[in-house]
Amino acid sequence: MQTNAQILFQSMIVLLGIGGPVSLLLRRNGPSVAVSGSVLSLISSLLGIVVSSIVIIEGPLDLGWEISTFFGEWSLSLDPLGAFFLLVICIVMACVSVYSIGYIREYEGVYDIGVLSGLSILFFLSLVLVVSSTNVILFLISWETMSMVSYLLVVFENRKNNVVSAGYLYLTMTHLGTAAMTVALLLMAHYAGSYSFEEMAGGLDGMPLATMSAVFVLLLIGLGTKAGMVPLHVWLPAAHPAAPSNISALMSGVMVKMALFMMVRSFFDLLVPTEHWWGLLVVLLGCISALLGVLYSLKERDIKSTLAYSTVENMGIMLIGLGTAMVFASYGLSELSAFALLATLFHALNHAIFKALLFMGAGSVARATHTRNMESMGGLAKRMPYTSALTFLGLLSMAAMPPFGGFVSEWLLFQSLIQSVSVPDVPIKMLMSVSIAVLAITGALAVSMAVRLFSSTFLARPRTEAAERAHESPRSMVLGMAFLATLCIAFGVLSLWAVNFIDNVTSSVLGVSIGSDIAEGLTLRSTDEGFASMAPSLIAVLLVTSAAIAWTAAYTITKGWKERISGTWDCGTPLGPRNEYTATGTADPIVRVFNTVYKPRSELRTEPSASPLIKKRLFYEIQFIDIFEKYLYRPVAKSFIAIAKRLSIIQAGSIQAYLSYIFVMLVALLLLFR
Amino acid sequence: MSSEIFVDAINGLGAVVLLTSIFLVASKRMVSFVRTFAVQSLALGLFAAIVAYHMGADHIYIVAVLTIALKALIIPTFLTRTIERIHVKREIEPLVGVPMSLLICGGLAFVGYYVSEPIIAGGNAITKNCFAISLAVVLIGLFLMISRKKAMTEIIAILVIENGLFLGAISIAYGMPLIVEIGIFFDVLGAVLIMGIYAFKINQTFETLDTSFMRRLRD
Repeated sequence: MQTNAQILFQSMIVLLGIGGPVSLLLRRNGPSVAVSGSVLSLISSLLGIVVSSIVIIEGPLDLGWEISTFFGEWSLSLDPLGAFFLLVICIVMACVSVYSIGYIREYEGVYDIGVLSGLSILFFLSLVLVVSSTNVILFLISWETMSMVSYLLVVFENRKNNVVSAGYLYLTMTHLGTAAMTVALLLMAHYAGSYSFEEMAGGLDGMPLATMSAVFVLLLIGLGTKAGMVPLHVWLPAAHPAAPSNISALMSGVMVKMALFMMVRSFFDLLVPTEHWWGLLVVLLGCISALLGVLYSLKERDIKSTLAYSTVENMGIMLIGLGTAMVFASYGLSELSAFALLATLFHALNHAIFKALLFMGAGSVARATHTRNMESMGGLAKRMPYTSALTFLGLLSMAAMPPFGGFVSEWLLFQSLIQSVSVPDVPIKMLMSVSIAVLAITGALAVSMAVRLFSSTFLARPRTEAAERAHESPRSMVLGMAFLATLCIAFGVLSLWAVNFIDNVTSSVLGVSIGSDIAEGLTLRSTDEGFASMAPSLIAVLLVTSAAIAWTAAYTITKGWKERISGTWDCGTPLGPRNEYTATGTADPIVRVFNTVYKPRSELRTEPSASPLIKKRLFYEIQFIDIFEKYLYRPVAKSFIAIAKRLSIIQAGSIQAYLSYIFVMLVALLLLFR
Repeated sequence: MSSEIFVDAINGLGAVVLLTSIFLVASKRMVSFVRTFAVQSLALGLFAAIVAYHMGADHIYIVAVLTIALKALIIPTFLTRTIERIHVKREIEPLVGVPMSLLICGGLAFVGYYVSEPIIAGGNAITKNCFAISLAVVLIGLFLMISRKKAMTEIIAILVIENGLFLGAISIAYGMPLIVEIGIFFDVLGAVLIMGIYAFKINQTFETLDTSFMRRLRD
């Protein structure tokens, strides 16, 4: 079995390694390259799904090829943790590549679709390398390749407004993150005396605690940037919507998870969480990200920006889970730690699936209406029945509705947070309970965000002509989304099996298996026996049967009734799309409640007529101030520019001046070190 | 011949190299500038020849011949012809006045001796004085580059730096391996040809060889 898996893994790497460059070379024959590229990624991701499942069940796997370098042996290897994330990558990638066959056609003749296809394959390859690198340097190279290729994909539609500046912001932030991460990883490698992750895992005993904390903070900054952790999230809502939608699905669904992967690996495997404040810091940042992410997602009118902010929210939720696991681990409560980590990983899987689905849905909608502004959509449910139904399923999972996957993972996360009563320190116990409240309000706001997104996009009547003319996307796009929607349901209904599967991963990280504790018979339960339990499949059955009963009842009761069609009472003015609830209007109550966070600046202008009682037109404009941009990034950028202006004096533009710098330096050094 | 004569001859030629460098700083006309450089290279060639005779190292003879041929004859001729062709103004326009420049050069010679003192104190090579001179020549060459405006003077300044390095190499290690020396000679020749062409181009574009005009390229 293992040797077969090795061959599959090798062929996957070879396929991707050859496929990417070849499709870039052959990009002139755009459409055919795009289709074959999609087929190639589909095949590789299916291979990846098989390989990672084998690894999770049976244990680690080596690629079997090595390169000796100055920085130790470079090879690829999958442990259960890496394999789990490979599984996430490959599931999303398989569906995205099916979706791309239809989606990519939109760009035909406008942009170079051969390049898009080739870069997507390279992106896939770099993701695979990130989760399977065994060497620090190889990992950093893969990480940077992933960032650079995704940057190129973000700026793919470079003739559109704001795309290039979004890409530039992304590039700056990702380099900031990589810089912090490089320092941290090299420090660890220095103390361990080896560049291999495996040797680093046990070799950090000689590291002073202060250095370890510094490494932790640097890693948190570096990985938090990629994860979209507040306040390092600014690039995410700009870059994810700017990319083509199939790439947004990959970035939001998969790439941000790479940060989670590396956090689990470095915080649990390499550093070992010994300090309580490490976990608490992660929980705190997670809470802020979750709350602000969902609040900001409610103010956006751009459908993809809404989803991008929701990614910030969900990464925040995962950080809460990860931090909780770290807090438990620091008290030696390894079973609870495993429980929290399992919930986090499960949520990562669910988020990858529903977020990719939602971005693909948004892509279909944007493709049909040629806009991303929800205010100019509406009424798409009738025009795009499949897309709207599938998006609806994704939104249900995102809003944590039973029996979808998102519900089960958030339930597990709640249970593990409630278990923080077992922590011996009272102040920490109290702090942790605050995070439960934050998670609860986040969940409630996520529901309203889902309602807002669906109602203003798909329901009521179309608000513009473009929305009226919209029609269903090609079959391949629907098919790609349908796979993911099925998985949204499957991971909820069959979550007992999924939990046991993921238990293999957490037990490989923490050494404690809890699968048999929390999944028993048909019910999932908290590790603390008799505390809480839930049966997702029974809930599903209950929901389906009650829906069937309700429908039958309604059908039988109304059978004899006569149908009468007439207009709604409209006070004498004809009702049109302009009377519909807008996306801005739906969010208005929340904006008012959270006034301090949003700091909205609204303006109401009227166009007067002869009579003071009749206004011809009303203009309402509302602007939101991003507090991080205003109070954190602007001042930093301003001070940098000020320093640069001061320093630009030495850039005189005269050769003699530059030469005299060298000359003075040379003489000074000679005199100093004679 | 006794070794004292050698020491005198070597020190004397070293002094000529240093003095010609200072002459370069003081000279105000382009043609004399090039000629002084030729004299310096000639002195350097003779210096190499004497060292070769003293050490009995044949390959330094070749180096000496190459030095004289290339730096004392070919390059100066090429540069003079370039100067004629682009009708450059005969005057050198220094950024720093001549008296001030001379003072600075004195200081730089002092720096050369001061810096090389701990290095040559322990050695007993007959050429040890020349190492200090070579450092001073390198520094003076750099100073020339900074304080003179014309691209043509900068070319010669870089050749002076090269001469200083050459002097240093011979005085400390009795020359580098022949193959390296020959490589350096070709480099220098190539560099001068390229720089000559660039000077020509700069003159065409800006109608002057004054490099301070290149300030406009900023931003």
